[in-house]
Amino acid sequence: MHEVSIAANLLEIVSEQCRKEGYRKIESIHLKIGRASGIMTDALLFAFDAIKTDSLAKDAVLMIDEIAVSGRCRDCGRNFTVEEEYVLQCPVCGGASFQVSGGRELDIVDMEVS
Amino acid sequence: MKVKVAAKILEANDRIALENRKIFDGAGVFVVNLMSGPGAGKTSLLEKTLAKKDGLRIGVIEGDIAGSDDAERIEKFGAPVVQINTGGACHLDANMISDVLDDLPLNEIDLLFIENVGNLVCPAEFKVGEDMKVMLLSIAEGHDKPLKYPLMFQESSALVINKIDLAPYVDVDVSKIRKDALSLNPGLKMFEVSCRTGEGLDAWVQWLRETAGKHRVS
Repeated sequence: MHEVSIAANLLEIVSEQCRKEGYRKIESIHLKIGRASGIMTDALLFAFDAIKTDSLAKDAVLMIDEIAVSGRCRDCGRNFTVEEEYVLQCPVCGGASFQVSGGRELDIVDMEVS
Repeated sequence: MKVKVAAKILEANDRIALENRKIFDGAGVFVVNLMSGPGAGKTSLLEKTLAKKDGLRIGVIEGDIAGSDDAERIEKFGAPVVQINTGGACHLDANMISDVLDDLPLNEIDLLFIENVGNLVCPAEFKVGEDMKVMLLSIAEGHDKPLKYPLMFQESSALVINKIDLAPYVDVDVSKIRKDALSLNPGLKMFEVSCRTGEGLDAWVQWLRETAGKHRVS
């Protein structure tokens, strides 16, 4: 819902690093977005394209890895991933005691610069 | 050429939230980030809580897209209150809170409520410097809400289920709300209240008093 402010934060972080390290242009940015982060990748792509004009990233494309929600069950000890944006029980043994470990990412991994 | 960035997109917000938290801790203020969809009764819950405060010094930051109606309602109870208008933004962020800290007498407050913008999605994603998040759900919103908006239920320390007096008139399964919310967040503390009839409010205020009190002692 607030993909524009997320896109603005993203643009600020990569532009600052690009300037600081003396590069002229950002060509692509690699992101990891968790499926439980609340961010829709399509909306983020749209927002980023709208605000990137007149920046070091004006020609940059976003490459987004969507990260599934994953966790580890304390009852059966197995690691699991799920299709949904949430976990209600261990999909292997049905246990209610589990630790969610992935799916909330909003991370910038790296970028291609010149 | 490929360069590593390795940054969290929200790290700037998280950093400011941590600074806010240090200021609150320094002043001995326990901070609750109060979240819900529009119309669930956040301001009503604050009014009822203020009416039962009994010595507990409560301050309020009101977050709304526009207007100052909520702050005016709180002011009637003599509580220090600041209104933030987000001008369209769907949530409060740490920077907006940082900007109004000087407008509150923090040293004269034990418990600060930050009433977030009415929205079941975005407020759960932005830390503002709170000690805990509390969410409010009115039963007329339906029993499907925990599974449709899981993040807010997962992030909250307590769920206040409001408008419980409407149960005979709406087709809602309150036990499903409780069950799904607890599956998402096994440690979730739950209260069933009616701000209209007053049902359940004493237990809520008592818990709030104990939770804020523990923080001040520690």
